[in-house]
Amino acid sequence: MASDSNPAGDWAAALQKAQADMLRQWSELGQGWARAATPAAAGAAAPAAPAGAENLARHFLQQCEQYLGVSRSLWELVTRAAAISDPEQRSRAFADGLGALQQQFAGLWAATPFGAPQAPGLGGFAGPAGFPGLGGFQGLGGFPGAGAFPGAGAFPGVGNAFAAPALGPTREQQEAWQRLVQLAARSAQAQLQVAGLWNDIIGKSLRELAERVTPRLKSGAAPGSLKEIYDLWVDSAESVYAQAARGAAFVQAQAELTNATSQLRTAQRELLEEWAKQFDLPTRSELNSIHQQLRELKAALRRT
Amino acid sequence: MSEASATAPDAAPLPAAALDEIGALPGRLAATLRSLQAAADVSFGCSEKEAIHTEDKLTLYHYRPIAPSANLPPVLIVYALVNRPYMMDLQPDRSLIRRLLELGIDVYLIDWGYPDGADRYTDLNDYINGYLHRALDVVLKRHQIESTTLLGVCQGGTFSLCYAALHPERVRNLITMVTPVDFQTPDNLLSRWAQSIDVDALVAAHGVVPGEVLNAAYVSLMPFRLLQQKYVNLLEADGDQAQMDNFMRMEKWIFDSPAQAGAAFREFTRWFFQENRLLKGTLEIGGRKVDLKNIRQAVLNIYGKQDHLVPPAASIALEPLLGTADYMALGLDVGHIGMYVSGRSQRELPQAIAYWLQRR
Repeated sequence: MASDSNPAGDWAAALQKAQADMLRQWSELGQGWARAATPAAAGAAAPAAPAGAENLARHFLQQCEQYLGVSRSLWELVTRAAAISDPEQRSRAFADGLGALQQQFAGLWAATPFGAPQAPGLGGFAGPAGFPGLGGFQGLGGFPGAGAFPGAGAFPGVGNAFAAPALGPTREQQEAWQRLVQLAARSAQAQLQVAGLWNDIIGKSLRELAERVTPRLKSGAAPGSLKEIYDLWVDSAESVYAQAARGAAFVQAQAELTNATSQLRTAQRELLEEWAKQFDLPTRSELNSIHQQLRELKAALRRT
Repeated sequence: MSEASATAPDAAPLPAAALDEIGALPGRLAATLRSLQAAADVSFGCSEKEAIHTEDKLTLYHYRPIAPSANLPPVLIVYALVNRPYMMDLQPDRSLIRRLLELGIDVYLIDWGYPDGADRYTDLNDYINGYLHRALDVVLKRHQIESTTLLGVCQGGTFSLCYAALHPERVRNLITMVTPVDFQTPDNLLSRWAQSIDVDALVAAHGVVPGEVLNAAYVSLMPFRLLQQKYVNLLEADGDQAQMDNFMRMEKWIFDSPAQAGAAFREFTRWFFQENRLLKGTLEIGGRKVDLKNIRQAVLNIYGKQDHLVPPAASIALEPLLGTADYMALGLDVGHIGMYVSGRSQRELPQAIAYWLQRR
């Protein structure tokens, strides 16, 4: 730890100022691009940022905010521990403190597209709207969820109504809905399973961080900057993740989530198509049939 | 503001360096945001090119020569279906194509375009024996030659291997770059994940598989770095516009992912990732066996020693499968993306390709 130090009041004030400034820049960013998006601003001097740049800027600010949150929490631990004179007690205090951060860090991670499911019963959840280039892609663990069309979880009580045996003239429709309910439940279960694995990864990552930092605390060479401790956190998390992501549990959970949400999405489309047919609207299946015929025609033309 | 940043700190000392870091943060944020906004309309591509052939979504480009001819056969670059080929000609100081042109090599490039819902039944036979075959026809006729050099990149390298095995008489030399051949090496995380995916269900759900699905899989390989740290690191540029423009170009390229034609995606996932047919010699395209022993021409296999998408072992598995003794493997100390744009690659790769071609 550097000997040159400042009282905690400076630390709190500096962070408060940084955070207030970030809020201000968030606000200015939104206003600036809102102005740029209006027709009246078309001739203004400031360049109008396309959606890509705006999304990137928002994501950048989100990550900076998270960077401050993560590195501040870790920094507080480091500085508290560093103030303890006994090296053993110093490293133990740091490791104990990290354990207490698990819930908080898992919460931060849940704000990303890889986080915990927000609405059990839906086939997937939308990532942050400003996520660069992905445009709020749906899903968890990297694979798309059920899309914009809700699963049965969005209809309160629907699950119970469709649990009864399918009988009578509406039997087929009831079976289709029952299948949808089952697939939505399967998808939600898969999301929970993946979220549980992610919580484990975060916990192990914090322990890995403790292993990397405590020797330095013992020797009095604690990280000297917020960025340094943040980078140590990322290195630790990636190291743990690289192991976990190769494990059978993670691979199976990811696959189950992808497979369940794929089937849910198909079941949703089939129901939509049933409705569309009743109104004589074109369906995906009809379009597919036309595409198939066109493909055969093109192939036949090439042969002549 | 996040919950984490709302907790009150206990009394603790703070090194002056860290305090300075926090104090400088607002200014760095503002500078970064300004340069991000200025980078919004950053341009892509730097070499003049002409579209000389189109078919459905495919465009075949010819790059305008900028140096006296080296009298080598033209090079047809076969890019991957994932991501866009402008990575080969991103900007003047990051362009493999420009470096090849400077060395007097005539360059053509296949841009597969953006598949849409009408392409759900387009399969690997269409891509390899159809579009690629006809694009090569155009190049051969233009130069009145019987065969020429294919330079396949990533998945495009795999396609080029298949094509050369099926039509060896039309390929004079073959260059593969960051090309997977063994799709099940132990270090291939993407492959590990792909093994248990029900690709029929995935394709049935989407028809054409959105590029976002692939992007999500790629960033999942290193999520903390690629979703978080990469953006925090922007602060270190201190608003440097050139750095931000470079970042923006890369960012656009990384997330500019065409959807994947459903049938081709299904076949590629199952045949290559799940069944490893190319390595095992059991692959058939269009009803014909793809036997890599049919490749008796010269082969240059370029791979990245730090590549986490196509690990070196996945590429160098090629040698014993070929029917040629004229094989050379060239490993550069770069990653997958570094192969296209890193300074080392820009310095070493074009000269190596030209040197190799001149000796054949």
